[in-house]
Amino acid sequence: MARSGRGLGSERVREALVGYAFIVIPMFSFLVFSIYPLFYALYISRYEWGILGKIEPLGLENYRELLRDDLFGKAVKNTLLYTAVVVPCQMALGLGMAVIVNQALRFRTFFRAAFYFPSLASSAAITAIAIFILSSDGLLNSLLGTDRAWFADSDTALPSIMGLNIWTTSGTMMLFYLASLQSISTDVYEAAAIDGARTWRTFWKITFPLLKPGHFFVLVVSVIGSLQLFDQAFIASGGGGGPNYATTTMVLYLFQTTVQDFRFGYGAALGVALFVLIFTLTLIQRLLFGRTEAA
Amino acid sequence: MATDETPATPAALTAEQLSRADEAAAGRPPIDIPGRERSAVTRSLVVYGLLIAVALLYFVPFFWSVSTSLKTLPETVGFDLIPDNPSLKAYRESLTSFNFARYFGNSVFIATVVTIQNVFLSALGGYAFARLRFPGREVLFFLVLGTLMIPDELRLVPIFQMLTDFPVTHWSFIGSYQGFFLISLVGAANLFLMRQYFLTIPRDFEEAAKLDGAGYFKTYWKVMLPLAGPALAAITILTFQGTWNAFFWPLIIFLGNEDLFTLPLGIFQFRTQYQTFWPHLMAASVIAIIPIFLIYLFFQRYFIAGITAAGVKG
Amino acid sequence: MRRKHFAFVAALGALVLLAGIAASVTHGKSEKGKQTAAPSGTVTLAGWSVSTVESALLKQVIKGFERKYPRIKVDYSALGDYDRAMLAKFSARQPPDVFYVDSNRAPTWIKQGVLEPLDSYIKKAKFPVSPFYSKLMDAFRVKGKAFRVKGKVSARKIYGFPKDWSPLGMQINTEMLAKAGIKAPTTWAQLRSAAQRLKSRNAVPNGKPICLAADWARILAFVYQNKGSFLNASKTKATVDTPAVKGAIDFYLSLMKADLLDIPAKLGSDWCGEALGKEKAAIIFEGNWLVPYMVEKFPDVGYKTFPMVKGKQQGNVAYTVAYGIGRNSKNKEAAFTLLSYLVGKVGMKTWTSKGLALPSRKDVKPVAGRAAFLKAAPYARPWQFAAGFDKVMTVAGNEFSAVVEGKQTVSAMLKKIQDEANATLRRGG
Repeated sequence: MARSGRGLGSERVREALVGYAFIVIPMFSFLVFSIYPLFYALYISRYEWGILGKIEPLGLENYRELLRDDLFGKAVKNTLLYTAVVVPCQMALGLGMAVIVNQALRFRTFFRAAFYFPSLASSAAITAIAIFILSSDGLLNSLLGTDRAWFADSDTALPSIMGLNIWTTSGTMMLFYLASLQSISTDVYEAAAIDGARTWRTFWKITFPLLKPGHFFVLVVSVIGSLQLFDQAFIASGGGGGPNYATTTMVLYLFQTTVQDFRFGYGAALGVALFVLIFTLTLIQRLLFGRTEAA
Repeated sequence: MATDETPATPAALTAEQLSRADEAAAGRPPIDIPGRERSAVTRSLVVYGLLIAVALLYFVPFFWSVSTSLKTLPETVGFDLIPDNPSLKAYRESLTSFNFARYFGNSVFIATVVTIQNVFLSALGGYAFARLRFPGREVLFFLVLGTLMIPDELRLVPIFQMLTDFPVTHWSFIGSYQGFFLISLVGAANLFLMRQYFLTIPRDFEEAAKLDGAGYFKTYWKVMLPLAGPALAAITILTFQGTWNAFFWPLIIFLGNEDLFTLPLGIFQFRTQYQTFWPHLMAASVIAIIPIFLIYLFFQRYFIAGITAAGVKG
Repeated sequence: MRRKHFAFVAALGALVLLAGIAASVTHGKSEKGKQTAAPSGTVTLAGWSVSTVESALLKQVIKGFERKYPRIKVDYSALGDYDRAMLAKFSARQPPDVFYVDSNRAPTWIKQGVLEPLDSYIKKAKFPVSPFYSKLMDAFRVKGKAFRVKGKVSARKIYGFPKDWSPLGMQINTEMLAKAGIKAPTTWAQLRSAAQRLKSRNAVPNGKPICLAADWARILAFVYQNKGSFLNASKTKATVDTPAVKGAIDFYLSLMKADLLDIPAKLGSDWCGEALGKEKAAIIFEGNWLVPYMVEKFPDVGYKTFPMVKGKQQGNVAYTVAYGIGRNSKNKEAAFTLLSYLVGKVGMKTWTSKGLALPSRKDVKPVAGRAAFLKAAPYARPWQFAAGFDKVMTVAGNEFSAVVEGKQTVSAMLKKIQDEANATLRRGG
């Protein structure tokens, strides 16, 4: 961009200044609301911290309490259980629907829209609809001939939320897989055809492994999303996390501890512990399933 | 997803991929997979039948909620799909007595503001990271990506504290829109997407602008930005949807200030107060879903492009 | 230097944007600071959402106040999501001047330091405390070590005045009662036999004789009747895991097992009031709040209110709400003037004139027909535990639902609740 006669030095300076000017607000946002909170949370977690601020220093007492905390253990267990069920289902369903929609079928757009539709709605609207349909005198019970209060029974409360979220999020996973499928070069299939491979084998031996980047991406997104389950558990249980702790997830417990119990110090410690948990899980995933990606 | 915000780690969104998404959106099937056996008529009927059944299954809850919203409360006990006397009474009452018209307006307001901020800032930042050279660029970009690893759980307490008592200045942003706008200024994923897209635009355009004597900002604003149309559209759509559906942060930040409530919060509040007013609750849910559904119908191509771009790894 | 110009304009624009956001926030703050410290100006009053009738009554009281004190204006608002809205206001240090304080929230709010101690204002205005029922006052008084205010330490600090209250009563559907040919029970044994008669005479064809939620807020009355309690008198120890408490829970479960009692959810209702209205239960235990509900929702169902039954002793729970003043309130003098009027003889008389709430002052007579509730005044204990007990109540509620589902034993539940309660007490909330 230099006019003839300008030295290279001052031009580079100019470009650098423009560069900084362009990124100053985004960087401010990231630093203040993502990076700084990490350290601030560590600081707050060392205090007893109430509505009006610091109350007294506690050192590592909050963390010691965390290790003894039964309810924390339950929250972690519920969340991990939920993740372990929902992630494979979402992935399988997403992949299945992607494969179907990817075929040379008529009405593909309709099917794709139908499968993706539940993902469009907000968690609040979806949960409200689910509460209605799953009520003890609701549609599902009439179709199944039962009369369970699905969200009010500790055996079926979390599974109901699992089903709900599998239904709503599989559409998004389908789109991710679709993109992956379409990026597989058709030469591969030609080669398979020449070798006389049949459809199912083609899929399992060739397509599936080639989808590895797609698998990894869907896995990571699905796991991170599932570990942060809050909206549906909060709305369905009215904030109580019941019945019998069934819908107490990690984020819900955090919410209860802070917004309802006003224990911000302990809540910060919870946040740090959960961050470590999520970070570790993501790292493990990367080591096991990923490779050095563009991200 | 458990949260409603846009997906976490996207990848390149090239012009080529967008056009492929176009294809997919247009309904033209990609190249047939050779070697696949041609299905017999009966087999394809079965397959179609199954597909339609599943698709209907996915739609049934929505049909049911629309149907319920047109009924009166006593009628909801029965299981007729078609209401006897369909009436929009529940919609009228939700919009007026139960304030959903205001919640709708609020949703439109915050979704628009957040989308505009996001698009503006992520395009600006994305371009800078893609095309401008400045010391520390790679480190800073790495930092931006790093923020994607920091979950809401960790941010809840510190951000709540910061919004109630901002460091140094002691401003308070809680219970107002400012706080929400502040923390939603720009999303790392959006910035990443824009950067990837700018990287794929040939440098010829910038060279041409340089020869014409344009400055940095003018080049960006008049030349590069228009070229990034598809990416901008994708970000606009996804950010709008994400903000429209957002629940967690609005719940924390608006904190009980009903005047500010958006549709998701309104639905939650309504459910808590008037548990069994099913027609009204369903009407509210329909009101919350319709706008996004319409946007999806008309801008499918950008929706798909945005999400598939996130899923493709080179 | 056009390129540089544009770049710096962009950065400048960004700073302006940020400044604009900040300015609008601080502007809001400085406006509030304009209020004067004399008993004049505007006082904000906040409560949770109430029915239209109650809202009209409250506005009537406010009008009376403004006529008496023309220099003070009252700005009343009903907050929807009360607890969370108050958290936001407390955190921002911009609380309403006068607001509702639920007895169960009081200990936590007092400990968090968001309530203003009222003793100095009481002294200055010579506002008499004795007319209030002392058990209700105790819910908003901190005995012993107290917070310092302006260098003075007093042995008792008052943080609010109760504005009304209600204990639990026993409401019975008159038709069903007649059909079973029995009189209203007065003891546990009579309650059981009455329910059995109701069942054998099929007086409640669509439901069960008794509706009683598996909710500590109701069961506690029975615990008190069995000479048990959640905490000891000085609130230093939990006494949950005791035979007295177990006895009350066992009584509840035995009625449920004998098919004489059920929870609202199983009776197709959100609470027992709805069950009574839908005629799915004959006997329920609710407070004065049932009256306006039944009048509005189920006016055709005939029922009568009887005093609560008696176990080994009389026992009942008093649900009460007070008016308090925010520690960060900007106009405390005027706020106290409003508060003292609202809970004063005239204000309370107007507020309780329609019978929607019972007066918390001995010198204000309630409307007719509330005798059954008033009988409980001498021994009803406030619905309140200690600071930071929200989590204990979450645990207690979850454990109880597990017991009802048969997934947990009563002893295990009581031990868990006791452990959690003691841990909280040790921590100081």
